[in-house]
Amino acid sequence: MARFVQSLLDGLGQGSIYALLALGVAVIFGVMHLLNFAHGELITVSGYVAYWGFLQGFSWTILVPLIVATAVITSVLIEQVAFRWVRGASDFTLLLTSFGVHFVVEALFLMYVSASVKSFDRPGWITDTIAIGPVTIETVDLLVIAATAITLGLTVLILQRTMFGLALRAAAEDFDAARLMGVRSDRVIRGAFALAGLLAGVAAVFWLMRAGQTTPGAGLTPMLKGVLAALIGGLGSLRGAVIGGFALGIAEVLLRQWLPGAVEGLTDGFVFVLIALLFIFRPQGLITVSHAERV
Amino acid sequence: MGHSMRALTSLIPNLRRDLVFPTGGALVLFGLLVSGGLTYSALVGGSADKLITAMLIDAVMVVGLQIYIGNTGVLSFGHIGFGAIAGYAFAVFAIDPLQKSTVIFDAPWGLNEVQYSPLASGLIAVIVTVIVAIVVGLGLARSGAQSGAVAATVITLALLFVTHAVAVNWYELTGGDRAGLSFAVGATLQSRWPIYLTLALSLILARVFTRSRSGRLAQAAREDNLAARAMGIDPKVQQMIALLASVMVVAVAASLRVYNLGNITPRFFFFDYTLVTLVMLIVGGRNSVTGAMLGVVVMTAGRELTRRVAGDGYELFGLGLDGAPLDWLFREGLSDIFLGLAMLGFMIFRPRGLLNDWELDQWLYRRFAPTSGPGGDGDGTRVPAEAADATLTGSVQPMALLEATGLTVNFGGFRALDNASITVNQGEVVGLIGPNGAGKTTLVNVITGMVDHSSGRFRLTDNGNSVDLTSAPSYVIARTGLVRTFQNLRLFSDLTVEENVEAARLMALAHLRSDGRHAGGGAMSRLERMPSIDTLLRETELEAFRHRRAAELDYGNSRRLELARAAATGPRFILLDEPTSGMSDAESLTMVERVRRVADLIRAGVLVIDHDLAFITGICDRIYCLDQGAIIADGDPAEIQANEMVQAAYLGSAG
Repeated sequence: MARFVQSLLDGLGQGSIYALLALGVAVIFGVMHLLNFAHGELITVSGYVAYWGFLQGFSWTILVPLIVATAVITSVLIEQVAFRWVRGASDFTLLLTSFGVHFVVEALFLMYVSASVKSFDRPGWITDTIAIGPVTIETVDLLVIAATAITLGLTVLILQRTMFGLALRAAAEDFDAARLMGVRSDRVIRGAFALAGLLAGVAAVFWLMRAGQTTPGAGLTPMLKGVLAALIGGLGSLRGAVIGGFALGIAEVLLRQWLPGAVEGLTDGFVFVLIALLFIFRPQGLITVSHAERV
Repeated sequence: MGHSMRALTSLIPNLRRDLVFPTGGALVLFGLLVSGGLTYSALVGGSADKLITAMLIDAVMVVGLQIYIGNTGVLSFGHIGFGAIAGYAFAVFAIDPLQKSTVIFDAPWGLNEVQYSPLASGLIAVIVTVIVAIVVGLGLARSGAQSGAVAATVITLALLFVTHAVAVNWYELTGGDRAGLSFAVGATLQSRWPIYLTLALSLILARVFTRSRSGRLAQAAREDNLAARAMGIDPKVQQMIALLASVMVVAVAASLRVYNLGNITPRFFFFDYTLVTLVMLIVGGRNSVTGAMLGVVVMTAGRELTRRVAGDGYELFGLGLDGAPLDWLFREGLSDIFLGLAMLGFMIFRPRGLLNDWELDQWLYRRFAPTSGPGGDGDGTRVPAEAADATLTGSVQPMALLEATGLTVNFGGFRALDNASITVNQGEVVGLIGPNGAGKTTLVNVITGMVDHSSGRFRLTDNGNSVDLTSAPSYVIARTGLVRTFQNLRLFSDLTVEENVEAARLMALAHLRSDGRHAGGGAMSRLERMPSIDTLLRETELEAFRHRRAAELDYGNSRRLELARAAATGPRFILLDEPTSGMSDAESLTMVERVRRVADLIRAGVLVIDHDLAFITGICDRIYCLDQGAIIADGDPAEIQANEMVQAAYLGSAG
């Protein structure tokens, strides 16, 4: 039992980050029908900015807002530079455009920074743990969970209480109809990217605190997790994305526990097999948003 | 003889256009690639040999990708994963045991002891990969793969990552991440002939596949999955065929790549190579084999140039070193960014690539085919018996009957269709009217298998053969003889007018022939009644637009093409969903005349749906009126016009 609670907590900690990333992916998918394979690049860019900040001698209290701001700005910038030109293009084009962005950002760092790992100090308390009975929790996990709860709460407020949120939800439901109702697509899309950037920024803070390093290809793993979690949740669904993120985090922790040591390296592979199976048997994701095609 | 010829024409519509010219075109492409490569080698010297060899192998790989991605429109990231499987299979079987004993001395099943010839190993690699591809293909089919489908792309991505994870972790077989598997020095590919042979064969395969029945049907489904199913095409089957053909080529290419490089590690067949090959495919144009090859050449040249510029750009361009103004550009990573920008740039500015779907051989065919008139030579899709016009004068007997009884459909709590029953006889024009929201389109969707219903039955009787089609998938319904058009046009927009009609015809020929052999009767008579494609295009006044893309047609022509395409399947019944919506009265009348003529030509019954009472009563033999999901009246036009309930329904909804 204690072990299960432990896994659950570990999974929540991991899943929080995935949920934030996945929600961003889902928000963007909602307004553009774009599955953003470049979402992880927000973490890559933030990582290098954190590295730069570290070299300047900034403490984490400064780095945290810096990372979040970087993610927001980068997200909006990427939209302006790349995605706005393919609005309304075919799914094929959209998918490959986001892949193109992913590779260009990676190549830029390769070209102008270095292919090698750039490290920075992690906060001193990162490995601290708190013991409650038989269960041990990493402080950072608690922080992640708390920060995620606050961020998600804020996001819900934005979505429920502001005009922008209303427009965004309407757009996610039916973008064309929303446009006919006077929703300004330009603003909604830019806002969606900013919101996705904010969410990714919070995720990036903890991701980077844990990693303490970055490489040009660092965005790949967080991108995959975010995209997979959003897919589990059914892509169109914002709530689904958050649930998908937590589900993925918990599934990973449990898999890592149950798989025999020899194949532990295969955890990611197993996750992919599960996702593939999910898509084979429930192509619409776990949480179904029905979009019946009109004929 | 006659029989096998017919079987061949149903696979390859027109021998010269779809077999001889594509083969020739493939060989010309092959010749250009090889002679270009050899010329470059001769000019630059020995250092270029490696580059050209690698380019030719990449070309085979990209051809493999093109066969699947081009024809189906499904974006696959998994093909390089298939490549990984083939590459390792090849390496494990082909590397000599002594060499293997240093890395994978405890390989499972005693594989460290075996050694086969490269050729045999390549065959094993192909077989193993194809088996995996069958499983993956079934999964893709189950997920409803179609052009641009995200689920399908994710499954292929999963394949790429799973094969990579296995390759990294299964040390006993793959040697893991670091060492990989290596051939002994000198035991690698020493001659280019295997590459030449594979490249030539795979180019021919790709070109002929594009023009074959499977290829055309896959392309139709790529353009519009729903419309393809409504024409009787089962996209899953065509996609599987495309996948297997494509994976075979990929497996051979991967084996060659490993054999040429002399070793394999997990990263050889992972993200980077996926990017390289995908960019090659899309830069030239993924729907064209010629384009794919152009992409291979352009990207190989571009990457080589950027790599060299990054190294010694100043020397290359004879620039002085003093100012070093281009240091920001001439540095490592330039070729990576070139690759990424190429993908991004083409997606943004030219998503269909340099050539779109232009093919050398088709261009040559249109130019130089000796008997090219508007009809082309020997329209292979013409049914030999050509009995269509004769049957016009034959006595009309109601041989076929379409019956739907008690159809009920609920959308959530809303009852869209309430115990509706209709019948249509062959040779009859039946109207279905009702105010907006009455359930007309729902009824059409139910009997064409596109919407599930809660209760009721639906059957089609043909020549005494009665088939229950309740809950049948739409392509089965279409094959049985009920074909529809769509209220909001659904053409195969990237295919030409002729190809649109041909796709429908190819499908019909294939299944009618196989049905005809087994059951005889109805299928054979449908076969014999089919008017030629020329006749259909003439009747719908589309001859002049034969080689135009469907997307370029104006509204009226598009409507007529939908009609021609539906008629080309040789149906018992045509179901027209608001065929005149958006047309003026005069245009509508001409359209109606045309519908009648075409229906007479193929002797089909017609069910036409519209909300315009006056229009429908002018053309129909019999009319049903739907209101709020229920049939409230049926009878001949005069009866319907006099019916008070009909008037109430219309006035009620209008007022």
